[in-house]
Amino acid sequence: MGLLQGASELFPVSSLGHAVLVPSLLHWSFKQSDPSFLPFLVLLHLGTATALLILYRDQWVVIIRGFFAAAVRGKIENDAERLAMLLLVGTIPAAILGVFLESHIKTLFASPYEAAGFLVANGVLMLGFEWLRRRAERRAAVAAGSRAEQEAHFAQAERISFRAAAIVGACQALAFLPGISRSGVTIGGGLVAGLRHEEAARFSFLLATPVILGAGIIEVPQLFSNGVPVGEYLAGAVLSGIAAYGSARFLLRYFRSGRLDPYGWYCIAAGALSLALLTLNA
Amino acid sequence: MKSTPVAYGILLVGLLCVVVAILYALGILQLFASTSSGPHYKHAILFGVLAVACFIAFNFARPKTV
Repeated sequence: MGLLQGASELFPVSSLGHAVLVPSLLHWSFKQSDPSFLPFLVLLHLGTATALLILYRDQWVVIIRGFFAAAVRGKIENDAERLAMLLLVGTIPAAILGVFLESHIKTLFASPYEAAGFLVANGVLMLGFEWLRRRAERRAAVAAGSRAEQEAHFAQAERISFRAAAIVGACQALAFLPGISRSGVTIGGGLVAGLRHEEAARFSFLLATPVILGAGIIEVPQLFSNGVPVGEYLAGAVLSGIAAYGSARFLLRYFRSGRLDPYGWYCIAAGALSLALLTLNA
Repeated sequence: MKSTPVAYGILLVGLLCVVVAILYALGILQLFASTSSGPHYKHAILFGVLAVACFIAFNFARPKTV
């Protein structure tokens, strides 16, 4: 479960959707209504967030310094300060929607059928983002060049507009629906906003870190409730962190020339197959 | 956009966020909370963060004398 969560958290294929679907399809004895499930999920998320912090440790030092410098000065003077403020602007809508809507949405759409349906919708979204991107490439007359030339025509994460950062941040709330991928919608949003694939992935991972970390830390007191097997759960968190670190490294390399399409087709196929299996098993 | 009225509007919103954060932390405010009693630290932290964001935005928006 830790490996599954860590790997699927950063791939644009919805970790929550897989966390609902896989145990249900494989008849694992995980009960999401169990009081110890939430602490387990908290630890897995903290594992993922720690992996992202380690991956971007140098950048986070620069971003945090830039944040305080720009906040005190009241003026942005370099790319690091701009990125810090973009991340703040992108995090706020996700935090507001998360606090007020997350539990309501998750309660409403918790069944494996809905997760499978949303997984198909997530695939369609990924293909839609890439369709919009190809249209932008045709408009910019770079469709005929190599992938590296095409990507060079688009921007770095620091160049995204503040409005686009807020919209991409708000899109993270879609991921409260099991089956919709947080990294998928943020990478897709970044592409629509004119970022290179690799930069959209970097912005998505940087944007995810405070949200995942914050949501995890807030729930830490749950870990100290009775009956929580902390040792086993910690092992899961470590595995989740290792999987997340490997996934992030892979995805950053993949997106130098790769697109979202394979993940879109995977989500459509996995969602449709899950729907079929769930119907047959019912 | 540097404008004194906008800047002070943002500052006012920031101060309101501080008040709302305190009310949630003390359990006085129960609006949009999942339970109807006790303190709501998640909401309090959110409004605290919003207050900090507003103070930063105020610092950006206020006209500065050189």
